[in-house]
Amino acid sequence: MNRISSKIGLVAAALSLHVGGAFADEILVGAEIPLTGSLARVGAGMHEGISVAVDVFNKTNGKHTIKIVTADDESAPAKAIAAVEKLAGDGVVAITGGYGSNNIGPASDAANKLGLPYITSGGVAENLTERGYKTFFRINNTAGYQKAMVGLLDTMQIKSASVVYSTKEATADLAKDVEKELAAKGVAVTLHAFDPAITDFKPIINKVRLQDKPEVIVMVGYENDYVGILRAAKVLKPKVKAMVGVWSLATPKMASDFPDLMPSVYGTALLPFPAEFQTEEGKRFADTYMKLYNKAPDYLGQFGFVQSMILFEAIARAADAGTLKSGGIAQELARTDRQTLIGRVQFSDKGDNLNFVHRMGQHQDGKIAIVWPSDAATGKMNFPGVPW
Amino acid sequence: MKMSKTGLAVIFAAYVLVPLLLGSNSYVMSLIVAAMIIGGIALAWALLGNLGGMVSFGHSAFFGVGAYVSAILTMKAGVPVLAAMLLGGAGAVAASLAMLPVLRLKGPYFALAILAYAHIFKILATEWSSVTGGSAGLASVPRFPTLMGVDLSSKTGSYLIVLSLLLVFIAAYRLIRSSHYGIALRAMHDSEDATRVVGVNSTLLKALMLFVSAFMTGVIGAFNVHYINFLEPDYAFSGLWVTLPIVAAIFGGYRTILGPLVGAVTVYLVDQLVFKNLIPSGHQLVLGALLVAMIIFSPGGLMPLLRKGSRRKHAAA
Amino acid sequence: MSELIMQALYSGVLQGGSYALIALGLALVFGTMKVINLAHGELVLLAAYMAYTVESRFGLSPMFAIPVALVLVCICAVLVYFLISLIRKDRELNSLILTYGVGIILTNAVLLIWSADVRSTSSAWMQDALVFGPFYSMRSEVLFFVVSMALMGGLWWWLSKSWYGRAVRAVSSNRDAAKLMGINPRTTEIVSFVVAGILAAFAGVAIFSYGVIQPAFGHALTVKAFIITVLAGIGSIPGVMVGALLLGIAEALTVTLASSALQELVGMGLFLLVLFVMPNGLFGAAGRRG
Repeated sequence: MNRISSKIGLVAAALSLHVGGAFADEILVGAEIPLTGSLARVGAGMHEGISVAVDVFNKTNGKHTIKIVTADDESAPAKAIAAVEKLAGDGVVAITGGYGSNNIGPASDAANKLGLPYITSGGVAENLTERGYKTFFRINNTAGYQKAMVGLLDTMQIKSASVVYSTKEATADLAKDVEKELAAKGVAVTLHAFDPAITDFKPIINKVRLQDKPEVIVMVGYENDYVGILRAAKVLKPKVKAMVGVWSLATPKMASDFPDLMPSVYGTALLPFPAEFQTEEGKRFADTYMKLYNKAPDYLGQFGFVQSMILFEAIARAADAGTLKSGGIAQELARTDRQTLIGRVQFSDKGDNLNFVHRMGQHQDGKIAIVWPSDAATGKMNFPGVPW
Repeated sequence: MKMSKTGLAVIFAAYVLVPLLLGSNSYVMSLIVAAMIIGGIALAWALLGNLGGMVSFGHSAFFGVGAYVSAILTMKAGVPVLAAMLLGGAGAVAASLAMLPVLRLKGPYFALAILAYAHIFKILATEWSSVTGGSAGLASVPRFPTLMGVDLSSKTGSYLIVLSLLLVFIAAYRLIRSSHYGIALRAMHDSEDATRVVGVNSTLLKALMLFVSAFMTGVIGAFNVHYINFLEPDYAFSGLWVTLPIVAAIFGGYRTILGPLVGAVTVYLVDQLVFKNLIPSGHQLVLGALLVAMIIFSPGGLMPLLRKGSRRKHAAA
Repeated sequence: MSELIMQALYSGVLQGGSYALIALGLALVFGTMKVINLAHGELVLLAAYMAYTVESRFGLSPMFAIPVALVLVCICAVLVYFLISLIRKDRELNSLILTYGVGIILTNAVLLIWSADVRSTSSAWMQDALVFGPFYSMRSEVLFFVVSMALMGGLWWWLSKSWYGRAVRAVSSNRDAAKLMGINPRTTEIVSFVVAGILAAFAGVAIFSYGVIQPAFGHALTVKAFIITVLAGIGSIPGVMVGALLLGIAEALTVTLASSALQELVGMGLFLLVLFVMPNGLFGAAGRRG
């Protein structure tokens, strides 16, 4: 019985392949992405989202077929340029991917020279959009993270905060922007920069505990930094009302890897966990993700998916209009205006997403609840609340 | 300083045939340019090793300082790009002045002390944000100009610049090696004590070699920043600028002049075109294995190994 | 303010304990072979990943990883020794490049096996707070500080009392004389690598239990260990201990009194300062300058 059904499956697969190939024009799209080097982990996450987008698009579109060609940029600028050029040589019509502003900058530069549209969610640096390229698009930016963090702190109505941040580019930018906005609102803010190589955070947290005495500790770093900061805080128990972080914190992975550190900690999150997808597209995304990777999607996958779907749809429109090779994709991308998994996406004339605002999630009982903004909330904010 | 016929033919091919045949394929050209950048550092690293007898794990310090000096001079002081590149090299020399005290140290101490400098410069570049742009770095660094109708910022133009730089480096290296400094340095190799007795100031000679090596690496770093148009501390002082050149120089033979260049082109292209496809993540593993194998089986590099059959007297520098 | 400084001193001392374990291994090998093993930090990392595997696969405390880590790391250490012994000429410099290559191999092997994710213990017991008056720390930090003190005591006893230990010291101080006394330098070299491996295995499990590990971390450990051996001067176990504590305290005090962004600068600065001012280290015998 098993054998028969598997045979039927094979035949069906062969048929669908055949049918698919019969009337679809296969369009090549490049994915320039770090699969090795320091950004390998986040790059792989985004790449999963891109692959899911291809699967979903090809199943639902019916008319056009997208094929992804992947080039690893090894988390290095020169190789990102080479990757884009290799993809151009392979005949791709656009690029989706990119992680780290230092790689995205040169790579999108090269893409612009070659006339290829470039869409990303991996770089939030201001200077990327300041160049004003007509071929460059991104669906997220520092401002969106800043709005979410400040928005959450607003609802908490706190009067003082200590910002502990890594001296890396994206984290330092965001920390300073958050500080400025909070200070303008009359919140007393102290900044504590730390070297990314630091492992023992107790001396910093102790300074916060004894000198700053803030109501909230804001953490702007990466996974290893959060673990260090939260451990130090759990030991020293500063009298704060909340621990607020940014990316890579309110994730299922952190909840399962560090169950004792996470309770009541806040971080940016697009979706609650376990994910509850309301929209048709969201459900299809989650199902496909489960099918391909046998796990629940994370935020990297969601961003990768959204950026790629927007691109693929623009490609389809350009193909229909017959402007695929004459700059039509960039024009169609610029016209994008639709609801996505990360909210409404529209691009400014510099290619930045005008509407991007992140959401804030909170770890609650091994799950993640969205607690800000209120219209997207899936749970009540547990405030004041800390992991100890 | 005679130039052989094959040498001239290779130079002709590099200047004319490569751009004509490959110039339209920007992917291949950018691989070649990247390999030549590594080659330039490898040459400078090998010069220090061969003539100065010093192993360095901190050449990223010179690379980064050269890049920052050149980028900042063009962006903030409006210095023309080509002049700024030379000043970038000078900046790297200035940075190497700070390293003079560690020249007295024996092998491993020098090798790792220079690494400490690379770390320090990186932290300075991050913290001194009013000048260096901090961790966000510098974007839109000026490109190469158009000179006599040739757009040097194009792939082929950049290739021609780095090619010319490497040729100048090779000529300088040959000049130094055949000068009486070179002879003294070679003598120093055999016995540092002996040279001291005959009145050669070995520390001064070592310092001079450090300056030359720093200058070359700084200019290459400056070239790279105007080629990539972007700079940030992590990238400028990356371990990348240490590992690959060492592998290239050891592979090609650090006692020869052309070895590091041949090594760089071979290692970089094979790594990118073959190993990367075989082991997508972690293909550097092969580079490490290569390094270990070379040190054990042929510490003189591949060039002497190939030449073993028809060994000539001047195999070593 | 004094409370801040007390805590900084305490944090620095605890951190110094594991620094000392790593640095001692590096110093021992340098003593017997005049070789800096640039893959030493990667050996430590290997032990840390063994602890991760034992914890995540079998749900055991990282402490149970110690026997496995000991075996694996010691085998790797002996392999490194074997490779170094194959070098035919100019061993002092070629061994640097060789072990640098071994470090690259190990880093990438770790990346291939365990992926680039950051790992750390999820054991609640290890992470819980342990407070003595004004001194705060995690349990794991105190536990492994005690372990490293015990190991160093054992090492000191071994070096001064046992035959092999004395042979290691003899070879370190004068190779030729030791040979004349009937000591086989090859054996003592292997012994020093094995002992370095043992220390590295404990240090690795310690780091996993209170810190965060990722594949590229090994190189930074080697550099830290080297800084400490320079601070100490070669050939002095108390020197290495003091050097390690000094570095740990200097780092913690920098964070407390100045900025945490400058922590790494202090180690490097201290390193260069000692090289310039007292090139034989704080406790070392003469003979480093060229």
